[in-house]
Amino acid sequence: MERWKQYASLGALFAVALAAGLWGFRATGGALPWAKRSARALQRGLDEGGGALVDLGRGVVVAGPIRNGGLVPEFIGLVAVLVAVGIALYVYAGRRRGGAA
Amino acid sequence: MAHIHLGEGSFPLWALVLWTLVGAGLIGIVTYRIRKGGIETGQIALAGIGAAASFAVFQLNLPVWGGIHMNLTGLVGILAGPTLGALIALVVNVFSAALGHGAVGLLGANTLVNASEAVVAYYSFRALTRMDWDVFPASAGAATVGLSTGAVLMGAIIVVSGVNGSALPRADLTVAVAGLVGLNLGVAVIEGLVTGFVVRFLASVRPDLLALGDRGEPAGVTA
Repeated sequence: MERWKQYASLGALFAVALAAGLWGFRATGGALPWAKRSARALQRGLDEGGGALVDLGRGVVVAGPIRNGGLVPEFIGLVAVLVAVGIALYVYAGRRRGGAA
Repeated sequence: MAHIHLGEGSFPLWALVLWTLVGAGLIGIVTYRIRKGGIETGQIALAGIGAAASFAVFQLNLPVWGGIHMNLTGLVGILAGPTLGALIALVVNVFSAALGHGAVGLLGANTLVNASEAVVAYYSFRALTRMDWDVFPASAGAATVGLSTGAVLMGAIIVVSGVNGSALPRADLTVAVAGLVGLNLGVAVIEGLVTGFVVRFLASVRPDLLALGDRGEPAGVTA
């Protein structure tokens, strides 16, 4: 398929998804964290709201249940274990492939 | 980012049993297919790294759309394949629920949601590359479609189940859930772009991971 058709199709898909996202953002309370937005929408229905789509001042934070529950060290430990296992598997797979060849 | 963030006891008991059974059935089928078809060792390594990345990103709240997290399940599905992608969805949800992010009782429902994202992303990517799409638009589009599927499934599960303690009539609940699904579609665009860039980068440095050299079958376990 021609490249411009690929990107036009992708652009159309993104446009539809972004339009739905903007409607959902405004209709479910505006600039709210997901957990609060979800609880409010499911308890009280749609509730128009506004606010910034991007709030860089808020920064990237660990999810509320983990942060508030004091489980950040456990979270970091789990990520470290998973990364170590992933790298070990990668090395093992490389050596096995090398041995087989 | 589709993920049911309701607490324990939010769904009626019959719904918990239903979604747990369906989720267990899916994992049973996936496990059977893996045992029957086998897996290449390299795919296991990709699955391990994919699980680590997905779990880490799952817990990070980004300051866009009010505060959301990504799943990377589309990326995981494209790289690890549909069967390993479904297993990674289970593993990520189990660890997340253990830390309080997602209810233990909703593991079945959330595994279904995230597994559908990985499976649909994988098959969409495969279909688009067979139509001779470039790697970036194929992976970004496939991830967006996969994540959108998961968002719609998440909404359907909530509407079918109903929410304990909500006074909303089913019709109003459906409209409210549609708003949440709509927001998820917007987030899918961000995740689709991230997936597109990552897969494009991998295709340039390690094309063997995607098996795209001859425009043939992408990597993954089809069993």
